[in-house]
Amino acid sequence: MSAWARTKQWNTFTRIWHLFDATWQNPIDCAETIGLYLKGMYKPIYHPMSDCGDHVVVINTKKIAFPGQDWRWRAYYHHTGYAKGASYTRAWELHDKDPTLIFKKAVYSKLGNNLQRRYTMQRLHLFADEKVPEDIMKNITNQIRPIKIVPRTLDTYSQEEIKSFPKIFDYPKDYIIR
Amino acid sequence: MVFQTIVNYTYNKGPDQFWKTRRILKLSSHFYGRRRNCYRNAIRGVWRSLRHCTLGRQDKKRDMKELQDLRIHAGSMEHGLPRGIFKESIERCLILLNRKILADLAVWEPRTFKALTDVAKAKALEDKLEYDGMKSEDVSHFIHRGLLKKK
Repeated sequence: MSAWARTKQWNTFTRIWHLFDATWQNPIDCAETIGLYLKGMYKPIYHPMSDCGDHVVVINTKKIAFPGQDWRWRAYYHHTGYAKGASYTRAWELHDKDPTLIFKKAVYSKLGNNLQRRYTMQRLHLFADEKVPEDIMKNITNQIRPIKIVPRTLDTYSQEEIKSFPKIFDYPKDYIIR
Repeated sequence: MVFQTIVNYTYNKGPDQFWKTRRILKLSSHFYGRRRNCYRNAIRGVWRSLRHCTLGRQDKKRDMKELQDLRIHAGSMEHGLPRGIFKESIERCLILLNRKILADLAVWEPRTFKALTDVAKAKALEDKLEYDGMKSEDVSHFIHRGLLKKK
């Protein structure tokens, strides 16, 4: 193999570091996309037996969103192995204990049961907030698009924007808003 | 029974038993335990493995198809075009390349593949095949026969 071909090989199989912002995202939906990046399935050179997966750094896992009643009804099962050792933890309880765990479990279950799963998971870096260590942050070269558009909350709008928002009608002066 | 020729009176033992056994044990040479060397166990394993072998030939075709589809999708999504639209469009342009060739182009000839996606994008725009992130600016540099006729 010539030096040129060798360099080309290194460049082709270099691990890329992606950034993903989990603010207002559903972790179950995100897990599928992030799984593709971890396994390298978004590359045309993908082959199940070649090691072409990438690193994904997920920030703001504390700010994930679940649809409907999922925070209450989604339960995470654990068994200690002893008799009567089964336990069910609600999503909101688990999120209070460790804000990265729901995201981690979602990706872990989406990756599928195979021998590579544990090694693939090692390439996933989860952070509860925006504080990422410098040695990880300097590697990042790409950002994954968010799955859902992050909605703006009312307190992020300035007073001018609220005033200039188109109105259908004005309340009468003697109308009392409760 | 009356035999007409003297040859048929000789007792024919059939094919050699030793070589028959060897033939089976050669097929079981990579098995584990007594399945490998004891004929009685080996023959069962060989039957089973040959059955898997037959099914495996079909599975291999399916697996290759899946991999090639995935590679085409990955290649076309690099230029923001889903595989379904891409295949449909180039088929309408009468670019009759099969799955294997397209996958090979996606891996080994990325520039050629990009040219194909440009053709597909232009056709999708013309035929109104809509997809996420569809843009007319992407194909503004692309000239095709239908465009010249319109002008």
